[in-house]
Amino acid sequence: MNVTNFKKGKLSKAIALSFMLGSSAVFAGDLNFSGFLSVGGGMVEEAKNEPYLGFSEEELTFKNHVFGLQATGQVNEKVSATAQYIARSENDYGVGAEWAYLTYQATENSKIRAGRLRTPLYIYSDFLDVGFAYHWTRPPREVYYLPFNNVDGVDFYYTRALGSVDASFQAYYGSFDQEFMELDFKNRSQIGVATTLARDWWTIRAAHHQGDLTVEGAGVDQLVGGLQQLGTALKIDVSSNINAFKVDEERHTFSEVGLTIDTGRFVAAAEYIVMDGSLGMLGEHVRYFVMAGVRTGNWLFHVTTSKADDKRTRAENGLPVIAPTAKLIGAIQTTTRGNISLRDVITLGARWDVADSTAIKFQLDDVDNLDTGDQKVLSVALQTVF
Amino acid sequence: MKKLTIYFAALGILFSMQAAAEISVVMHPSSSVQALSADEVSRLFLGKAKSFPGGAQAVPVNQDEGNPARAKFNETVCKKNASQYKAYWSQLVFTGKGTPPKDAGDDAAVKALVAANPNMLGYIDSASVDASVKVVFKLP
Repeated sequence: MNVTNFKKGKLSKAIALSFMLGSSAVFAGDLNFSGFLSVGGGMVEEAKNEPYLGFSEEELTFKNHVFGLQATGQVNEKVSATAQYIARSENDYGVGAEWAYLTYQATENSKIRAGRLRTPLYIYSDFLDVGFAYHWTRPPREVYYLPFNNVDGVDFYYTRALGSVDASFQAYYGSFDQEFMELDFKNRSQIGVATTLARDWWTIRAAHHQGDLTVEGAGVDQLVGGLQQLGTALKIDVSSNINAFKVDEERHTFSEVGLTIDTGRFVAAAEYIVMDGSLGMLGEHVRYFVMAGVRTGNWLFHVTTSKADDKRTRAENGLPVIAPTAKLIGAIQTTTRGNISLRDVITLGARWDVADSTAIKFQLDDVDNLDTGDQKVLSVALQTVF
Repeated sequence: MKKLTIYFAALGILFSMQAAAEISVVMHPSSSVQALSADEVSRLFLGKAKSFPGGAQAVPVNQDEGNPARAKFNETVCKKNASQYKAYWSQLVFTGKGTPPKDAGDDAAVKALVAANPNMLGYIDSASVDASVKVVFKLP
């Protein structure tokens, strides 16, 4: 298989295809499989309030399942190919290659990867779907809310020991195209760096990402069209409103700092993020969580407080507040408010390691939403790796 | 009553003997590595280092899950219980950032592998050590 023949964007498909066909000549005998499974259920206190974590019914329902299978094949001494296929209940178990990349081990401490990669946004990004690797049924929703978790591109990953501190550095370049809420999100010239320092029982992390985002769709066209008509009808300049609302190759940034602690007895984690989309309708998102827990035997009990304290983009500013504009101003406000969250959440949870590779989790989220009120969510999960 | 005390005393001795089973970290006799520190052994087994202090490539091998030597080694050297150990590796495996040491069997199987490959590093009950391997670290 000569991957250099494939144009950008087709690389991941090529790797995926090679796995499906078996590529027996190349990979025979040295394919490693690992997998993970999460079976999740949950219920809410008040069905009329906001659904949370995908749960909306007052009866316990089990419909939050994820199954993942990863295959890694050694192509030669320096190059390996990896694909991770994930089937989710929320997508009717449609199987997608969420990762598919080639790894070139450049030196003992550095590797270069190309293909579809997981964007290193957060502490838990790399193993977001591998529930067994963390304590909650899933990482705190307030901070782990972005639907864009993968990037097509190349990255460089470097590790080294600085005395007794282990350092890692990751940098990448790429792009993504993704549909979300009936809108097309297109990110270009996306670059990011993530670095960690770890010693004994603590790890600190910082990351920064930026990209030129475009958001298109019927909803956006309607509002922009409405603004233009209004401008013509009332003979006013609405260009600044259109600019404030539209997301057309607008620079968006994402910054993160985080900390994890695990002494064996005590565990803790904290993460703070700012997503600056204030040049368009997405607004500025400021979010954090702080978790502390204690491990006793096969049980781990934890408590987490998280907060989403976003600022919406006031794209209606400057429009005259008169009868003919009322409906449009209302629509702009509704849309920009819909793009942000103002929530406080307290989470109580327990993880029970029933066997070496299997954990059962219980979790209660008490969600206080500034707009829609209070909601309590109970969730359970059985998670395993193999 | 006295009998019961003796019985408990005997049980106590039995348990302390079991706990005292010493574990040695072993390599091929021809290796240029003479001794490793606990930290160096831990870094190699957790994938944080991939070569020996001298520069030779290191291939650590585990005992199978359920062997008492594995539990003691992971808790004492890697400072992780079985589920922490599994969670640690599941954070690396699914990111392509690391691969755990292979599970190679029991004392005899690990000793045979190490005795046949100068790059391998294993741990076995000290009672099983013989001339086919060299001890580079002893668990405290």
